[in-house]
Amino acid sequence: MPDAASRPSSAADGELVARAAQGDERAIGQLYDRYGTVLYAVAYRIAGQRADAEEVVIEALAQAWREAPRFEAGRGSVAGWLTMIARSRALDLVRARSRRDRITATAAADRPGASPAMGEFRPDPGGALDHEERRRQVRQALDGLSPPQRQAIELAYFEGLSQSEIAERLQEPLGTVKTRVRLGMQKLRESLRPFYFERGT
Amino acid sequence: MTGPAQDSPQDLAAAYALGALSADEARRFEAFLATSPETQREVHEYREVAALLALADPGAEDQPTLAAGLRDRVLARVAEQKARPLTAAPRAPAARPSSAVWVALAASLLLAVGLGAGLVSARGRLAALEAELAAGNARLAAMQQRLTEREATLDAILEPGVQMFQLTAKGDPEPGIQLFWDRQRNLAIVHGYRLKPVPGGKAYQLWFIKDGAPVPSVTFTPEPDGHARVERIPVPQGGSLTAAAVTVEPEGGSQQPTLPIVMVGTLTQS
Repeated sequence: MPDAASRPSSAADGELVARAAQGDERAIGQLYDRYGTVLYAVAYRIAGQRADAEEVVIEALAQAWREAPRFEAGRGSVAGWLTMIARSRALDLVRARSRRDRITATAAADRPGASPAMGEFRPDPGGALDHEERRRQVRQALDGLSPPQRQAIELAYFEGLSQSEIAERLQEPLGTVKTRVRLGMQKLRESLRPFYFERGT
Repeated sequence: MTGPAQDSPQDLAAAYALGALSADEARRFEAFLATSPETQREVHEYREVAALLALADPGAEDQPTLAAGLRDRVLARVAEQKARPLTAAPRAPAARPSSAVWVALAASLLLAVGLGAGLVSARGRLAALEAELAAGNARLAAMQQRLTEREATLDAILEPGVQMFQLTAKGDPEPGIQLFWDRQRNLAIVHGYRLKPVPGGKAYQLWFIKDGAPVPSVTFTPEPDGHARVERIPVPQGGSLTAAAVTVEPEGGSQQPTLPIVMVGTLTQS
């Protein structure tokens, strides 16, 4: 179903979740086809390791399977829901890893700065085009932020820091951080509105 | 941007959707959010922005592509859960999960304990489950109670020397009353079935006919399903019982029966 995969529509997404809620695991396969790339991207960005990122994708979709009966369409898009799950699982994993690393004091923090090796990967023909366009738009939108705004938003989203923690990390006043997050998100909203996974009603 | 305490709730929507509020702030914000459709729309939109941020990866110019076989692993995990939906069952050695799963699990537990934020929804779910369990237990207790009562009734009517008599309505085969008479204890049990409802303020009353005269006994009203059951009814002594009858009387019962007699049956001494 290349069509559905390249142009995810809200109705179809919600339908997939509903089918998953009724016990049809093929719906999870289709959600993977649509959003696997996005989930993997956020997982990899946070976890920094291929194996961990893959485990996060598996965990996130397994959690989506469990929680599908409680998904409320009115509260956000399926894509937003799935990415928040993946983000949470990835942050959990990283926190646990750093705790474990602290405890064992090993130098096991094997977080490479580079992107994963491409050798054993295959392209994701279904969703690639749409995601690639979005990716470009997101990059552009982030480039449109002031560096401090971008930094605050990235620390919050990818490192799971609260605004207070960001302020502490950066040695900046909390109010300043809050303003950066708010204004930065407002700016992102303006530039990204046409590219949401699911258009607002 | 002066003090941290001056945020209006609307200003927190972006940070909330981004996951940048502390557990405490998030709880307070959610309380407000529930009351404001306008802010719900804001959060909804900022969540879309956050979802797109997932695609931001300044480090990689190449689009991240998915490992072959990851799809199958996802489906295998789901199938595993489908097979055992309610248990954190140990997995077969062949499908041993990477340590990352356990680490993530442990982390989520630790986080839950440490932060309490994730606990809000978990607590809600736990409370709901506990309520369900309590309701289930109550239902069970009520059923056991009924079962015990029935058993006692059954024991009572199976006693040696207990005789059953049938009271019927003239010209109407539907309703009936079984009267179990335990002569040794001089007690009776009546069980009515398919009884017609009585008007408000009225009740059925049982009469024993002793030496040709009616002796008032208990009153009762049928359940919605037409059943009625009264136990441990004293049976009048010191005379000759020939019949039992039922009339409709005021709720408190009468000293003299109001005609007509709705059901009647003979009591044969044996």
